[in-house]
Amino acid sequence: MTSLRADHSDIAAGARAMVPWLAGIVPFGLVIGVSAAQADVPRLAGWLTGPLIYAGSAQLATIGMLGAGAAPVVVVASALIINIRLIFYSTTMARYWRGTPWWWRLAAAYLIVDPSVAVGLDGYQRLGRGRGHAHYLGGAVVLWVSWLAAIGAGAIVGAGWPAWLHLEFVIPLYLVGQAISKLAHPAQRRAILAAATVALLALSAPLQLGVALAIAAGVAAGLAAEVRR
Amino acid sequence: MSTWIVIVAAGLGSYLFRLSMIILTSRITMPSYLERASGLVAPAAFAALAAAGVAAACNGLGITGAAAPLAAVAAAVIAVLRTGSPQAAILVGMPALWVATALLPS
Repeated sequence: MTSLRADHSDIAAGARAMVPWLAGIVPFGLVIGVSAAQADVPRLAGWLTGPLIYAGSAQLATIGMLGAGAAPVVVVASALIINIRLIFYSTTMARYWRGTPWWWRLAAAYLIVDPSVAVGLDGYQRLGRGRGHAHYLGGAVVLWVSWLAAIGAGAIVGAGWPAWLHLEFVIPLYLVGQAISKLAHPAQRRAILAAATVALLALSAPLQLGVALAIAAGVAAGLAAEVRR
Repeated sequence: MSTWIVIVAAGLGSYLFRLSMIILTSRITMPSYLERASGLVAPAAFAALAAAGVAAACNGLGITGAAAPLAAVAAAVIAVLRTGSPQAAILVGMPALWVATALLPS
């Protein structure tokens, strides 16, 4: 059992370790807030994707597909497909949380997302399990607060700016940037090209199924490329 | 109403994913192909949503009207390829869109 003083310093260290991540995460949160303001969904509902879904890509997909009028089941399925990586993060963190109180596992699991896992794992590997919990908590809470604040700021800014700025185009451009920057990896390149092609071919698919089909086709193409290598 | 239900359902499902292996890890081993697939989901989702988003932005504008958003996308692609930074897409693409919208006939 660590002292309260040690816990405080480890919480602070975890919070500090999260700061470099915020440079990339805060702009993403702003983009999601702008998309929530521009999409045809209630602004509060768009912001609530933050605390409820708490994973940027799935939030963008949910807001975008709801705004486009997709069928509810397709939107939920797409968000969950995108978030399937959380199961692997859950596997990764489980080894450190075995034997902890149930309330800790319920709360700590809620905060699992890419940056909190990265910062948390670093803490567990350097500090051990006991102090690692405090390190994880410090980083994860800073991330959570910053993420929700960024989405809120984006939603306020996005709703108030003039139409000629075409802020609705920030999201497609953000996504283009993310996709193009991953072209160097062969399997990801196959996945990206296949997904974009199927998305364009399936634009008129009913219930906005095209995006879900495109993601599945992209993953299949990427896996096939990995098998061939 | 369904908007709220969708967001709550997606949030609940995501939380169950987060909690799943913390509860079940002693009983289940994940197959390796699923782990590989999870690394491909995000790039595929970004590409699918980008293509659908650009197509939606151009929908109904005609060839001349779609020229400005397509020019912005082209500028964004070139900027990301040259800099390697995904943020360059917005930093270059949005000004390109404003300039193209002002200069090109709609």
